[in-house]
Amino acid sequence: MTMTAPDMPAGRVALAKRVLPYALLSPAVLVTLAIVFFPMIQAAWMSLHDYVLWKPNAITFVGLKNFVAAFQDEVFWISLKHTVIWIGITIPAQMLLGLATAMLLNQEFSWRPLARALIIIPWALPSVVIGLMWVWIYDSNYGVLNDFLLRADIIKQSIPWLADPDTALYAIILTLTWQGFPFFAVMILAGLQSIPKSYYEAASIDGASKFRQFWHITLPGISGVLVTAVLLRTIWVANSIDVIYVMTGGGPGYSTYTLPLYAFIKARTNLDFGYGSALAVLFTIMLLGLVIVYLRKVGGDNK
Amino acid sequence: MRKLLTIAALSASVIAYGAAANADDTVRFWYHFDNADNPMSDLIAKFEEQNPGITIEAENVPWNSYYDNLYTSIIAGNAPDAAMVKLYAQPRLVEMGALVPIDDYISSWDGKADLQDDLLDLTKGPDGNQYYLPIQYVVLYLYYRADMLAELGMEVPKTCEEFREAAKALTQDTNGDGNPDIYGFGFRGAKGGQEHWGSLVLSRDGVSLDQPGGLTNPTAIEGTQWVVDLFQKDHVFPPSAPNDGFKEVTGALKAGKTAMTIHHIGSANDMVAALGDKISATTVPECGGGHWTTFGDESTAIFSSAENKDAAWKWISFLSTTGNNKEFNEATGQLPVTKSDSANWTLHPKRFVDATVASLPFAVTLPNTPETSDFVNTVWPVNMQRALTGEITAEKMNQNIEELFNP
Repeated sequence: MTMTAPDMPAGRVALAKRVLPYALLSPAVLVTLAIVFFPMIQAAWMSLHDYVLWKPNAITFVGLKNFVAAFQDEVFWISLKHTVIWIGITIPAQMLLGLATAMLLNQEFSWRPLARALIIIPWALPSVVIGLMWVWIYDSNYGVLNDFLLRADIIKQSIPWLADPDTALYAIILTLTWQGFPFFAVMILAGLQSIPKSYYEAASIDGASKFRQFWHITLPGISGVLVTAVLLRTIWVANSIDVIYVMTGGGPGYSTYTLPLYAFIKARTNLDFGYGSALAVLFTIMLLGLVIVYLRKVGGDNK
Repeated sequence: MRKLLTIAALSASVIAYGAAANADDTVRFWYHFDNADNPMSDLIAKFEEQNPGITIEAENVPWNSYYDNLYTSIIAGNAPDAAMVKLYAQPRLVEMGALVPIDDYISSWDGKADLQDDLLDLTKGPDGNQYYLPIQYVVLYLYYRADMLAELGMEVPKTCEEFREAAKALTQDTNGDGNPDIYGFGFRGAKGGQEHWGSLVLSRDGVSLDQPGGLTNPTAIEGTQWVVDLFQKDHVFPPSAPNDGFKEVTGALKAGKTAMTIHHIGSANDMVAALGDKISATTVPECGGGHWTTFGDESTAIFSSAENKDAAWKWISFLSTTGNNKEFNEATGQLPVTKSDSANWTLHPKRFVDATVASLPFAVTLPNTPETSDFVNTVWPVNMQRALTGEITAEKMNQNIEELFNP
């Protein structure tokens, strides 16, 4: 025989009410624990071990040895430098391009819906397709970029963009900027449309120039969107290895290595899961630090 | 009581069904074929007809993640029963205890006498046991544009000096814009290019990968410097050479952007389709007193986790038996391992088969040690690219490789 709620004692009803939310949430919590936290803890555990996949009988606890080794590793510092350049150029470039695009798309013109749809294309394409496409664009024999620059008499000789260590990283940054700017454009466009037109009309009547309108109305109006978009893109771009992997595989030499790519190559290609995990853990801590500093400095101003 | 009997009967039927449908006589086999013309289902049908009771579950695993998947499946306890494998992976697979020695199977196998001479020696394991059964092979040789050499009135290069002269002469600016449109040699600076470097450097007297000092002696450093100079000073490699891989070097030769490269018979039919009689092949040049080229291999092996090793052996030996091996290699474009199939081989134009056969006497494999995988995957490409682009010296490159093999 089952009891209905009115039949149950008051204490049990209260208990059931307290337990019910946890019971309903527990499947989601368990799944999150299993697919997010367990691998994270496992990676941290592996980073404290000599863990080479093809030496399953020689796994030993080594404490912080892998972390110490990372700080003494030339490739770690090269990769870290590239990661800083990679984030430092890509995010502002994507943001500025996205801002300019959003401002244009916010104007009234007849084919605006079509333009808005077209602008999404780079964002919608898979990274592998984008990587392969830009490899062809940069090709020193057949590439359209060299052909254009030669015809315009800007260069005298084809440049092997991806095979030259001085240009390879920047060539990939340009690719990723192209891929990622629509995200900013769409986010900022949404922000722009939430600013009431009456603000601009009032400012215009008061004699504010276009620049002052932009500075005092537009920028504050989209600042919340910008903070969120920059934060999301920083995390995505920092962790993005697919475009680099397809375009150069990290080469030539280490000239397009970033920290996540180095961790991936160490773990997946060299099967050194201990060292690869240590690199990943170090990078996660650095990124976390960057995000905290950013949110405190920039996010705080937007409260 | 009746209820108990019913449960027992049900359990028995489930167990019986499970045994019949699943179990010991199913062989899970991994392989990798790039071409759409996949003969595996025909071979499986033929095998299953000859061996009733054995089921083959063959899985075509993409090449670019083949070994990543294989190693992780072994660690996860989900390895296939048998798989296609390359020599450079053998030391690691043996170290992991993942392979079964097949010496006893081979010694009592009828097909042993029909295998090409020396193939079993070349594929022997690091501990002297035989874990691999060869299934196909290639030997790398030098492709050259016969028509261009003839136009220049030059002989096919036989030595490194002749090779360099030919490469310089073949590098041409045909449209007069001041930049070469055709480069003498398509050098592979990305993964897999150790075969090009090896032919031009490891052939030299006193140079070796795994002997202490084998790469840091003056001859070895001079050899690597010679390769770097071909790129930096002679400009006979395309500017993209540091990043070029298989697709780029074979594609550039087919497109007439380069006049020579090093590869094997697996690409011969594509070359002929693009260039006809203009393309030919010879042995790699003799450099510094010797020849060195790579024996490109593919074998099959039985994994220690296989439930029915006898069934797995029946399947892999079937693939290396005359007729079946021919069918297999007609699809992969490589060469059969059986003498009988090789004798009547007509799949490739004769000049490429001749270049392969002429290269066999000095074809070698990379050192049979676990370090070789890292050498192929990261250490060689990274250091060669850095040397080509002037980030490190030839001496430093050789030192870094020597440190891997002789820490």
